[in-house]
Amino acid sequence: MKVTPENVREYILQGLECEHVEVEGDGRHFDAVIVSKAFEGKGMLQQQRLVFQILGDKMEVIHALSMKTFTPQQWAVQA
Amino acid sequence: MDEKTIALEKIKKTVTENPVVLYMKGTPQFPQCGFSGRAAQVLKGCGVEKFVAVNVLEDQGAYEYLKFYADFPTFPQCYIGGELVGGSDIMLDLYQQGELQKLIAAAGR
Repeated sequence: MKVTPENVREYILQGLECEHVEVEGDGRHFDAVIVSKAFEGKGMLQQQRLVFQILGDKMEVIHALSMKTFTPQQWAVQA
Repeated sequence: MDEKTIALEKIKKTVTENPVVLYMKGTPQFPQCGFSGRAAQVLKGCGVEKFVAVNVLEDQGAYEYLKFYADFPTFPQCYIGGELVGGSDIMLDLYQQGELQKLIAAAGR
């Protein structure tokens, strides 16, 4: 089952309220930029764990996912 | 003891007895995955002479059960001072902030 960046984006949005989600990838390795209020007060590792928990068993088909996670404030400053 | 317990015990021993451990696909010389290769490069960039690199493609226990050890499902995984730091993206981020070097120095003592 080939997973597309759009699929990954939908999986994330199904479980996480986001201001912004971008996903690129080649079907096995994916890079995501995710901006969500849910990240507030969390370190990078906790933010990623939250996304992995939301993706759940989909991680079986998404072999590798690298992420840049931002809170809305961080994103506003960074963008 | 079942397979999972044995694997988790072995992981615990490895990450607590070695200051810097990288669970990766392949080896630092011959990484089998872009992210694993990047992680090994970041550690070299920090000037870490010796770090323990575990090739999960040759360690079935780590391949199957590492994701339960620190509740993190992907590879590579870098452990410093026994604690999960993250994958290649977090390692790169911390490296650029000069934080990774501090973690390594603290664990080296």
